[in-house]
Amino acid sequence: MTARDPGASPERTRLAWRRTGLSAAAVALLAARPAFHPGAGPAEWLIAAAAMGGWAALAALALHRAPGLRARPPHPAPRSIRAYALITAALAVIGGLVVML
Amino acid sequence: MSGGLKHWFDPESAHTEGTTPDYRFSLANERTFLAWIRTGLALIAGGLACAQFLPPLPIARLREIIAIALLVLGGGVALRAVDHWARAERAMRLGVDLPRSRFPAILAIAVALGAVVLVGTVLYRMVT
Repeated sequence: MTARDPGASPERTRLAWRRTGLSAAAVALLAARPAFHPGAGPAEWLIAAAAMGGWAALAALALHRAPGLRARPPHPAPRSIRAYALITAALAVIGGLVVML
Repeated sequence: MSGGLKHWFDPESAHTEGTTPDYRFSLANERTFLAWIRTGLALIAGGLACAQFLPPLPIARLREIIAIALLVLGGGVALRAVDHWARAERAMRLGVDLPRSRFPAILAIAVALGAVVLVGTVLYRMVT
């Protein structure tokens, strides 16, 4: 597959990774929000740090995926995909801690 | 979530069976996975927003229950997304039918039921 790709699949996939990273940013910011309240303590700070760390990991995975998509033909990404889903589930757990506190 | 568990611990096994499909199909599968992840993230964001922005509801702890339910649903959607991705990838390599699933319908019903509960709560607050 070296010919022109009429559907621009790699491009669309790269943009899908970016959109997903932006959605994750909204989740991380919501989880970090209690840390900015006046009465916030170490628990809130730790949760905010974990949420931001999770989001950074997701952004790093998307960045890591980009060269594989630029290759011709694009490389598969089973490890990135598994890691992305597991970190997303971890964000849900962090969200659970936010609700419980 | 059956039959795909070995792919969790041996990611490369999905790329040795059968023949490599057209990369465009693999990328489409990857985009579908990412769309499901966004669905999961939206549910998680909804759960967090419920916990932080809803006033206390007439039923004790209902706000926290809704938030936790949304978070569990979001995490479940993310885990199910990777399982479905692996099964679709495997089906494409082996040239068999893509996996079918009742999950989207079940998710839609769960979200609709949750919406009905919330509408009921809002109406209850308006009357009392």
